[in-house]
Amino acid sequence: MEGATARKGMSARSIAIWIAVGLVGAFAWGVIALARGEQISAAWLIIAALGTYAIAYRFYARFIVTKVLRADDTRATPAERLDNATDFQPTDRRVLFGHHFAAIAGAGPLVGPVLAAQFGYLPGTIWIVVGAVLAGCVQDMVTLFFSMRRDGKSLGQMARDEIGPVGGVAALLAVFSIMIILLAVLALVVVQALADSPWGTFSIAMTIPIAFLMGFYLRVLRPGRVLETTAIGVTLLILAIVLGGYVDGNPTLAEYFTLSPNALVLAIVIYGFSASVLPVWMLLAPRDYLSTFMKIGTILLLAVGILITLPVMQNPAISKFATWEGGPVFAGSFYPFVFITIACGALSGFHALIASGTTPKMIEKESQVRTIGYGAMMMESFVAVMAMIAASIIDPGLYFAMNIPGSVLGGTVQTASEAVNGFGFQISPQELQSAADSVGEETLVARTGGAPTLAFGISQIFSGFLGGSALQAFWYHFAIMFEALFILTTVDAGTRVARFMLQDTLGNVWKPLGRTSWKPGAWGISAVVVAAWGYFLWVGVNDPLGGVNQLFPVFGISNQLLAAVALTVAVTILIKTGRTKYAWVPGIPLAFDVVNTLSASWQKIFSDNPKQGFFAQSNAFQGLVDKGTVKAPAKSIEDMQQIVTNSFVDGVLVVIFATLIILVLGDAMRVWVRALRGDEGIAVAESEYVESKIVAPSGLIATSEEKAAMANGGHGDRELVGTGGRDGEDDGSERRG
Amino acid sequence: MTVRDAVRNISWYLKEVAGESDYDRWVAHRREHHPGDPVMSRRDYECRRMDDRDSNPRARCC
Repeated sequence: MEGATARKGMSARSIAIWIAVGLVGAFAWGVIALARGEQISAAWLIIAALGTYAIAYRFYARFIVTKVLRADDTRATPAERLDNATDFQPTDRRVLFGHHFAAIAGAGPLVGPVLAAQFGYLPGTIWIVVGAVLAGCVQDMVTLFFSMRRDGKSLGQMARDEIGPVGGVAALLAVFSIMIILLAVLALVVVQALADSPWGTFSIAMTIPIAFLMGFYLRVLRPGRVLETTAIGVTLLILAIVLGGYVDGNPTLAEYFTLSPNALVLAIVIYGFSASVLPVWMLLAPRDYLSTFMKIGTILLLAVGILITLPVMQNPAISKFATWEGGPVFAGSFYPFVFITIACGALSGFHALIASGTTPKMIEKESQVRTIGYGAMMMESFVAVMAMIAASIIDPGLYFAMNIPGSVLGGTVQTASEAVNGFGFQISPQELQSAADSVGEETLVARTGGAPTLAFGISQIFSGFLGGSALQAFWYHFAIMFEALFILTTVDAGTRVARFMLQDTLGNVWKPLGRTSWKPGAWGISAVVVAAWGYFLWVGVNDPLGGVNQLFPVFGISNQLLAAVALTVAVTILIKTGRTKYAWVPGIPLAFDVVNTLSASWQKIFSDNPKQGFFAQSNAFQGLVDKGTVKAPAKSIEDMQQIVTNSFVDGVLVVIFATLIILVLGDAMRVWVRALRGDEGIAVAESEYVESKIVAPSGLIATSEEKAAMANGGHGDRELVGTGGRDGEDDGSERRG
Repeated sequence: MTVRDAVRNISWYLKEVAGESDYDRWVAHRREHHPGDPVMSRRDYECRRMDDRDSNPRARCC
């Protein structure tokens, strides 16, 4: 906005305010860092995080938008130029913020911090907050901006246009493989949360008929009435959780809904396949509405809950597992795996796919990328901080009893208690049993995957101000349901997206496969996609070493690989457009990310320690198989062989990911050198300048100058979207990109 | 801001986010750029929009 940029300097009042914000934030960090041996309130983490976000948003994000990206609000965005009231349309920044946040927020920021809590809460929290403002938010915002400057091109297309065919193909491969691993790991989290839990299984199973009902209502009875449909859905959902309690209490029914992990794998695979081939209005779309509203609602409630109950951190700031050896929850040393495990919440490559998807086609004003790109990621980071808090306010003994693989803990509360004591934490079998009883579960031993731990933490917070211990079981299953619901939404949407990606690629080889409406093609390719993640899911569930333990690091590596692709594209564009002096803005997070990801890959590939290196692990177990020995945690020679194969496959995956990073980066560096030499053949694929005719505020809250400008332009803030007076080609229902 | 304003703002926001106001916007756009052309009913519009998502799936993040 003219008004916003015209104001030179800051008033004394705002300088004072920002100094105060900085001091409060710094003081909170000081309290957290200096509290040794005493437990601190979770409020300090919240204050430290919010203070850091405020400063970073006000100064760093603004610097990037004006100096580095040179956002120009006189330039029409693709939403304005290509407005077709369908996919391209100028959308109110606050509404778009909601859309964008709903699309980037998922289970990642909830699960990663829970697993990383084994190192203590401090390392993870610092990475979540500092990583977000310097890396994650920057990645999301610059990707969104560059995609917007290119009419909403996808990350893969930008990699091809700006780097070259090699980088483009590597990026495409990276996107597809991360998708498969992501779906498998997320589905694994659901399986771990629902296995042998009739309450959870019943309420999640009920979401399918509820979705069908919603879909029918929205399609036939009340087309387009999304809000009332969702209200009906949410009501039925709460009812399903309540009914789950009765199912749990009734032995006959409970038996019916008590599923083994393998049965659940089968159910999720069938579900994923159906969601991929059924019309979206039946299952996918209504579930998406349901999960989005549940997600936002629960996150808001959690924030309120933490502020009201102000729980005390039980987890140490830095635990004894913050070493080269790592801890028992997942395999990997403290460095670099604290940065790998917490991907979403600090830096998530997957966000680059969203930021180069629908969002750039809907932005009204270029400078709004700060609110939408940077702001939404800050909020996601805050969700991760809350997850870290929820995992850290429960007793560390219970935390480890829930998160160490079952093969190490043994099947009973007695063996688990002994194993946890062996790791140096105390929890008695009675305490373990009463914790399980308090949330209406048979057992909480080895409920790995993060979701149950988070649900336990959430149930403690919620029951602290809503309903007391009588409702703790309800809140636990409410939290499980909320996580499983949106994980399954990611699984079904992801399966469909992966199916289209594969069909698109294979269509180049054999035409009919590219036609997405051709039934045999759609069914066949869906089956291939489902089989791919289904394989890893099955392997994860049956891995004697624990699937989360083994696969989560692989998932982290693949996600960070995608972040490397996005940041590389950003650096390349800056260098090509003569902004090399600012290339450090995406360049520093890129260097950090590549160093972390490659050292994690190095450890997973080359480490001699069978606990960390996949090939060392595979070889060690192969050696034992040759001698016919069975080593714990394997129970039989088949288990042993399974470990040999799994570790080998995981190792190969990591090799592929590392190769892709090196390929993309190497290819990009070739372009950087050419650009720096002033090679004439360097082209930038930016759309041309067209003057903007709409007036809209830049930040989340309109300044008084902006309000005045909008009033002059004849627009009230509210009626801004959809009012006429703009040119732009109308192509009706035709979709681009 | 009065309570009534707050309620009105929240309901405006929810409708926008859920996409309930998209149809009206589309009709306005249609009337302006293609005057005289027939305009789809809300039912047809919503069905078509949903079917569009069949072939343009939106990824949800982790």
